[in-house]
Amino acid sequence: MPKQSPVPTELDQPFYDACNEDRLVVQHCGPCNRFQFPPRMMCARCGNPGLTWRQVSGRGRIKSRVVVYDSPVSTLVPEQPFNVATIALDEEPDVIMLSHLPGVPVDQVPIGAAVEVIFETTPATGQKVPEWRLAGS
Amino acid sequence: MAFLISFDIDGTLEFGDPPGGITVEMVRRAQELGFLIGSCSDRFPSAQKALWEARDIRVDFVAAKHMLPDIRSRFEAVKYLHIGDRELDQQLAEKAGFEFLWDHEGVAEPWLEWLESHGG
Amino acid sequence: MAHPIAPNSWHRNREGLGIWEGRGKVVATGVGTSPTARRWDERPETSLGALTIIAIRKAIEDAGISPDEIDGIVLTPESTTGVSNDPMSPAPEGFDQVFKMVDFPQAGITRGDIDWILLNMPELKNVEFKMNGPVCMSVALTTAAEAVSRGLTKTCLVVRGWHNLAGRYYVGQGAAALNTSSGPGKYGGIWGMPACATTAMIFEEYCNKYGKSHEMMAPFVVEERRNGLMNPDGFYTQHRPEMITVDDYLSGRWIAKPANIYDNDLPIQAALAVIFTTPELAAHHAQKPVYILNHAQTRPELQGVTPTLAEWEASSDKMGRMLYEGAGIGPEDLSFEQMYDGFTLFHQFHLEGLRFASRGEKRGYALDLYQTDISIEGPNPVSPSGGNSGNGRTRWWHHRDCILQLQGRSPSQIKRKAEYGVSGAHMPNFCDALIWGAGPD
Ligand SMILES: [Zn+2]
Repeated sequence: MPKQSPVPTELDQPFYDACNEDRLVVQHCGPCNRFQFPPRMMCARCGNPGLTWRQVSGRGRIKSRVVVYDSPVSTLVPEQPFNVATIALDEEPDVIMLSHLPGVPVDQVPIGAAVEVIFETTPATGQKVPEWRLAGS
Repeated sequence: MAFLISFDIDGTLEFGDPPGGITVEMVRRAQELGFLIGSCSDRFPSAQKALWEARDIRVDFVAAKHMLPDIRSRFEAVKYLHIGDRELDQQLAEKAGFEFLWDHEGVAEPWLEWLESHGG
Repeated sequence: MAHPIAPNSWHRNREGLGIWEGRGKVVATGVGTSPTARRWDERPETSLGALTIIAIRKAIEDAGISPDEIDGIVLTPESTTGVSNDPMSPAPEGFDQVFKMVDFPQAGITRGDIDWILLNMPELKNVEFKMNGPVCMSVALTTAAEAVSRGLTKTCLVVRGWHNLAGRYYVGQGAAALNTSSGPGKYGGIWGMPACATTAMIFEEYCNKYGKSHEMMAPFVVEERRNGLMNPDGFYTQHRPEMITVDDYLSGRWIAKPANIYDNDLPIQAALAVIFTTPELAAHHAQKPVYILNHAQTRPELQGVTPTLAEWEASSDKMGRMLYEGAGIGPEDLSFEQMYDGFTLFHQFHLEGLRFASRGEKRGYALDLYQTDISIEGPNPVSPSGGNSGNGRTRWWHHRDCILQLQGRSPSQIKRKAEYGVSGAHMPNFCDALIWGAGPD
């Protein structure tokens, strides 16, 4: 899928650098022992600014799904209709990421199925972003 | 064998919101010349029907925009045309095997030439 | 532009606060609604600002008071969820000949502004209290309720207008047309979800969990349009008076399945003004006072790029508990509910959080309730105003109609006795809501 290339900032550079090395890292708050994504300057729960980046397993489960027929993003319009699924990370199921689930036909996204992270190169800048596929596929 | 024209409403027809360049007169003329006509729009079907009735036009079909394939299978025609004002109109039309014209291209009524090239 | 907003301490955002200190000390009386339009035609007299002035004058007239009596304004400056021009971009030609201008030209065009209103409504000469209620009319209403209950203003206008510029907004425009993505949108935006997709995602999770389906939404959408078409001030009544059928709804084009085009509300131009005052002063107003019995707020604590069903359920449950605690009533006391519906697919999360018309069920019952009599004639009126879905996007039809229902003069008046109502917006985990009563208790 020809996604837009995300432009990293100081805050999220470690996340995108890790993507380019095929590693998934997520912000972690020590005092709360809690992950959060998207990246923020501080922990959304306790305000702790001393967050660290932790590598996670890259395993998760499909929480829900939609099929997009009318996307606002021009580069994706020719791909319509396409899946978008929410992925709950195994380490912390409240942390949600999105996926196009490459290879899964529309209307056939299995809620609850196990998935694993892959990294997809976005065309404009070559920046990699996390994507997900059915585990073992 | 007939020709079929599907009009989008908003942004395409003069009674759309926003109004488009295709007039009721153009639609009426096409129908009088034997074209199968109707609308495929994001207005819901019963509202489309009411809009045409208010202009005293008995259309051959009304349908939601994404039902163009259904219209194609219901009517036999030499050519199928959809006229609209959004990229989405173009995408849905081409997927359904319709030719596509932008609203502003339709204003010149290019379909009238079909009659000549197909011997009226 | 630079008016204060309510301090955080005014917002009732946790449980255990007890009965609201302002309960029974604030009432709503006059209501004024502007005409509606699908888009702005760039004439000064149809601008957001012009509509706002119309709404304010109608509200004052409706209350039967003198403009001199208005001593406060709470206004929501944001005026759309679509495209807003840069505040400094110039006004169309001729605008400054009709209206006096403030220090940014988009005031009265794509932004509401208290100073602009006061400059262009010389009859409002006694306004001392000025506060913004950001983002949503709901915040303006809860802010004004606190302000009146605290004695900071005695007769207060609560105002919100909406603009909608020509053209189709947010589809392939601005950032979405680029091949790179910056700003916080990049974490989720590059997957290309339209605005309704987050709601659709959680609705799908809901359906999967409770064994429900999108078709079960049809009676709700049809009923909302029916109610909206009774409202002479609604967009559909004024411009597209056709009734929607179940088949129409189910034939709708998917935007993000399971959300179709008719689950999305239509952006419009419109403005509303409401008058809040004290019960004592309301004695000489022309309209019956409607009491504000409590208000409450929820805000998200997101961990992911998008909320989940669990978050929406927890947050709307909390909203229900907070509202009832501070108002001293329970779900069984509600005569109707008017929670937000733009998108239609999240209305039931609000409704279930309130346990509206629950027969002991906690969650997963609302779509079954939609299959029963939810009309204004029935025992459990759901969204009697018709909401955004039945009237166009404003995020205030449902608030407005709480006042009108409890005054007994709604165009879609419920048949059962209207004693208590509830309204709130917008998202199930980002909500400001109020309990309204026909009397002080
Ligand atoms: Zn923390």
